[in-house]
Amino acid sequence: MPQNEVNLFTSFGLPLLFIFGPLLFSWIFGNIYQKKKQEELGARVQAFGTDNLSTLKTPPGQVSASGLLSANIIMSVSWWQKLLGGIKTVFGGQVETWDGILAWARREAMQRLREQARARGYDNVINVRLETSEIQSSKGRNTAIEILAYGTGIKI
Amino acid sequence: MAPAEGQPVQTIEMMMSNTETIPGHSIVQMLGVVTGSTVRAKHIGKDILAGFKNIVGGELKGYTELLQEARAQALQRLVMEASSRGANAIVNIRFATSAIAGGAAELMAYGTAVVVG
Repeated sequence: MPQNEVNLFTSFGLPLLFIFGPLLFSWIFGNIYQKKKQEELGARVQAFGTDNLSTLKTPPGQVSASGLLSANIIMSVSWWQKLLGGIKTVFGGQVETWDGILAWARREAMQRLREQARARGYDNVINVRLETSEIQSSKGRNTAIEILAYGTGIKI
Repeated sequence: MAPAEGQPVQTIEMMMSNTETIPGHSIVQMLGVVTGSTVRAKHIGKDILAGFKNIVGGELKGYTELLQEARAQALQRLVMEASSRGANAIVNIRFATSAIAGGAAELMAYGTAVVVG
């Protein structure tokens, strides 16, 4: 009977669509978007060539000029990843979604520091520090992570 | 010259470094610890936009810029304090961020004001 079918759809189908629709959307487009962005970053790192960052405190050689450099990025997980992470925290163990996001954010912040150093004419960046902090939305529902990379740019 | 991205608008000539000395210079006089800080809250519009961005995850550009500006201001205040003490350089600069209730964050920069020769 068509009447029953409509009832079934409105009572089960619609709620299911509202619950899983956004998650499905988030899963598909989140994956595509993040993969694309990570590939872009990989290409930037490749194109940049050498790594001019160092955690050493002493410059390798005579320095003619120096200055403080800093680069930051704020990253967040997608709804889908948030759900997976939430499930993972029940059982414990490695939370791969945050793992990946944090590693990506750190790579991006470091690459920005490299590019900034080159743009400002520094040969190397010494004493590079990485700092992580948590940023929360005003309602505390969404958590994002800030990665700050800073160091001293030097001209040799 | 326009300031580079992520750098403070500097009106005072001040050498800054997060190493223990300014590379290539030696410290003549130490003038104590100087701090500069600022507390920022996010704009509600940006918060909502970020909520949408969370669907796909990744960078929240609005927040990145916000914190960049805030940190630049903290550095600016650091420079002001150091210059009021008569320093010409700040060494061993550290950044600290702490979350304060209600979606606000404090960004602080601190270091040692010195006179270098």
